Amino acid sequence: MVDAPAGVGPATVRLAFPPEPRLLGTVRLVVGIVARKAGMGAEGIEDLKVAVSETCAVAVGDLTRAGRHDPIEIDLVEAADRFGVEVRDRAPAPAQDPGGPGEGEVDDRELGLALVGALVDDLKTSTLEDGGNRTSFWLRREPLLLDPLLTEELALGPPDPPDDLPPPLT
Amino acid sequence: MDLDLNVHKDGDHSVLEVAGEIDVYTAPKLREQLIELVSDGSYHIVVDLEKVDFLDSTGLGVLVGGLKRVRNHDGSLQLVCTQEKILKIFRITGLTKVFPIHSSVSDAISAPAE
Repeated sequence: MVDAPAGVGPATVRLAFPPEPRLLGTVRLVVGIVARKAGMGAEGIEDLKVAVSETCAVAVGDLTRAGRHDPIEIDLVEAADRFGVEVRDRAPAPAQDPGGPGEGEVDDRELGLALVGALVDDLKTSTLEDGGNRTSFWLRREPLLLDPLLTEELALGPPDPPDDLPPPLT
Repeated sequence: MDLDLNVHKDGDHSVLEVAGEIDVYTAPKLREQLIELVSDGSYHIVVDLEKVDFLDSTGLGVLVGGLKRVRNHDGSLQLVCTQEKILKIFRITGLTKVFPIHSSVSDAISAPAE
């Protein structure tokens, strides 16, 4: 479990899904909704979606290569100034593809983990006592920026209606 | 979630328009399309990413693989992308130094070969 900052009671959303690549899009959708409701800005939400998707894709690959179908668990932790994620899987070990990347290809696993490391804060990986892997990280929650037009409307009121509108119905 | 691919010719170039999300599930479809283009003799490819909503490391790997394939034939693979969230992925991974990235298909086609 991701440790919440002291004095803050974290609100946690927990997901579990079978290790199937086709479900990663659904996971991203849910992560995006939870992060938006938690007040994350647009860039932070995109970073979260990439980081969670990459982490889960690694877990899906490790479980598939190990012939395991155990669900992958995700905790999304909303704290005062940041958003935490923990991904747990039951893959016996971060298995390497015995064939390695194909001709003309790159190692997606290593590239994915490097990408996660570049996007998030406090990335930690460890093995679970009863087998499996835990990956956790945080993202700072940047202030939401309002649409400048909306800000102007809030400050000045709605714009005057155009002159050519028909008269209101009586 | 799906990935839509559309190919058309523009002079010596094949323009591959990609729409949707590129991840570990959909990237094989993109890989097959790039392999097919090169097999059919298209060695100058423009990949238009303007309608891509999501790109992960698997997608990056597929694009790098495509670049290596066309370079084996002295060809080129150029990208079209103006979306900040996608450009950020290329910048973080250092791939902006590998791929020529343009703001429009016409810019990509008219760019001098590197």
